[in-house]
Amino acid sequence: MTEEKKEKKPHKRMTATRAAASIGPMVKEFIAGTNRARKEGTHKLAYTFIVCHHEEILRAMDVLPVWTENFAGVCGAKRDAERFLQRAESLGLSRSLCTYALCGIGYDQWREELGETPPDAPWGGQARPDFMIETGQILCDPRSKWYQASQQFMPDIPIYNIDLPYPLFQRDRDHREVLGYYHRYIVKELRGLIAFLEKQTGRKMNYDRLSELVDLSDRIWNLVHETYELRRAKPSPMGTGDAMNTMVPMNFMMATQECYNFFSDLKKELEEKIARGEGEVEEEKYRLMWGGGLPAWYALNDFNYFNGKGASFPVETTYRMVMPLDEMDLPRTNDPVEHLAWRWLGYWTFWYDKARRRPGSEPDVERLINWVEDYDIDGIVVHQAFSCRTWHVGLIWQLNQLAKIYKPIPVLMIGTAGQKEKTNREVPSLILESDIIDITSYSEIDTRNKIDAFIETLESVRANRAA
Amino acid sequence: MTKAVILGEGIAASVIGPTGAEQRRLANKVMEEALARAGLAFEAIAYVVATGYGRINVPFADRQITEITCHARGIHFLFPEARTVIDVGGQDSKAIRIDSRGRPHHFIMNDKCAAGSGRFIEIIADTMNIPLDAVGDLSLQSTSPATISSVCTIWAQQEVASGLAEGIPVPDLLAGVHHSLADRISRMALRLRLEKPVVLTGGGCKNRGLIAALEEYLGCELLIPENPLITGALGAALMGRDIVEKARQNNLPLETRPRVLEAIHLLG
Repeated sequence: MTEEKKEKKPHKRMTATRAAASIGPMVKEFIAGTNRARKEGTHKLAYTFIVCHHEEILRAMDVLPVWTENFAGVCGAKRDAERFLQRAESLGLSRSLCTYALCGIGYDQWREELGETPPDAPWGGQARPDFMIETGQILCDPRSKWYQASQQFMPDIPIYNIDLPYPLFQRDRDHREVLGYYHRYIVKELRGLIAFLEKQTGRKMNYDRLSELVDLSDRIWNLVHETYELRRAKPSPMGTGDAMNTMVPMNFMMATQECYNFFSDLKKELEEKIARGEGEVEEEKYRLMWGGGLPAWYALNDFNYFNGKGASFPVETTYRMVMPLDEMDLPRTNDPVEHLAWRWLGYWTFWYDKARRRPGSEPDVERLINWVEDYDIDGIVVHQAFSCRTWHVGLIWQLNQLAKIYKPIPVLMIGTAGQKEKTNREVPSLILESDIIDITSYSEIDTRNKIDAFIETLESVRANRAA
Repeated sequence: MTKAVILGEGIAASVIGPTGAEQRRLANKVMEEALARAGLAFEAIAYVVATGYGRINVPFADRQITEITCHARGIHFLFPEARTVIDVGGQDSKAIRIDSRGRPHHFIMNDKCAAGSGRFIEIIADTMNIPLDAVGDLSLQSTSPATISSVCTIWAQQEVASGLAEGIPVPDLLAGVHHSLADRISRMALRLRLEKPVVLTGGGCKNRGLIAALEEYLGCELLIPENPLITGALGAALMGRDIVEKARQNNLPLETRPRVLEAIHLLG
């Protein structure tokens, strides 16, 4: 095996909100909680992935989710992923695969080899699961392959796969025509999950409790939406740097009262900040959108660097995994499983109708356009993480398509005859390149040089902007 | 390289010096030389803008501006009709789309991989023991360019060494190397949705083989500045002049640093 060394600790990122600052201990506690449960045998533990709309089912069955992507992100944020990545490489896996998966597989292999937590594992390490729930959904293929690979080292741990498809956007075809078919399939998948969990836990599902948790989640969805919409204020009271923290309760603690309370507190905090005219940055000069890509978890300080240049991030597409339910027109049902399936489909098809109405648009592009307008955005920043195929392919395409169909900035240009002409220009964009947790792909100097140049570009666009 | 341009009515002096780890010392040195060439005292310089990777290490600079903005400005001054700038330097390569006023509105950089920068050719020239300024012309003598498939400079170096051992003619190997670099740079530039006219700048312009290969891959003619190594520094000087003129027009004070050059101590 390669030499396994811990990397240098990063500087702590400054947060704009108290709520974001409280996330570290929260994550630490739920990782510690899973380790306690493992030790004391109080709960069954499930390795699983975010964005599967199954948290309510897990929590209703008292199964504790072990969010493996989260643990990989924690390793990255603590700059302690390299030794796990190297271990996965030593197993013959390429560094160009999803580095979350590599980190998790490297960690699992090490833990299984030792029969205990690897030395100094971040925040007490990731507990051994009782079973693994993977998902062969459109979103990301390592979400099914990862656990199959980890199962080599844990052959006694069963896997359940929930397939969660949604109809892809087609301009000339109304997705509603096939929605019922998708819905029936997803309901079947979720009922299969319940049966699997009943078998694993030896308990029967309490459907009243499930309904309560689904109702709680729905209320959280609306609350998160209302809270994040407050960021439209000028100056914006909270940025993407903080949202990379507040994604934790949204994505890892859905269907819990703690999550609801967190967003109630955050909403109140943002309202207070708005009343005081307090922004994410002291003097907000530019409003940027994080237009996609998972962040470089070890380099969240770059958000502070943007802030230092007067740039705030009122909105991001990454991890905004909820949309307002009252705008989805979901069919009414008293069956919580059916509702989960409708909500899943409602989320993924949310922008379809709007995209269809704008020539050349697509749902992801439509979301960018709408949020550029809603949040009064001056520029878009995306992160191409080399190991994340899911995001990588679409990002550049989205920016190209956006530039082609959407030119909202009126500028004065010198025409061919030397006279000033009014024309319209696309929203400036910046592509950052590195990885989610592989720090070897990152250069702080180069990244910040690009940020400096982008800020100058925004300055020049503003100077050139026609009245 | 470390460069300095002093701008008056026109270019009063320009200096291209070596580069290295001691950026502060080199900045002082080129400035001293530029002042001597222009016959000016340092106090006569109204404003100093530093650019490039070492811009924060220029102790006497009044302002730092990135090379993206400076290249755009410098190229616009030389070629007002230019809409895209491709800079191929020793450290990195970049493409910048500029508007009719010379302002950048999109850019892309390759700063991660030596195989996409001028360094690639420097290393290969060194491997083949051929002077850097001869490789471009030699590559143009090729009748059947070799294929260099490695995406890593070190592996490409080995590929070239194997090619030499196999008896592949030097011009063919060099043409392959130039095509490989041009392929990488053009793919980067095309991501910007290239707009013509396109200007090539930086050390890469000194290489006729690279220019020819780039024109082939980009499918367009490239405009080449007369002195392509100083376009960034020229842009910085122009930006400095803009700042001074704007302050004068608005009757605003200019914040500048003391015009003191640090003593230059040569190591070793």
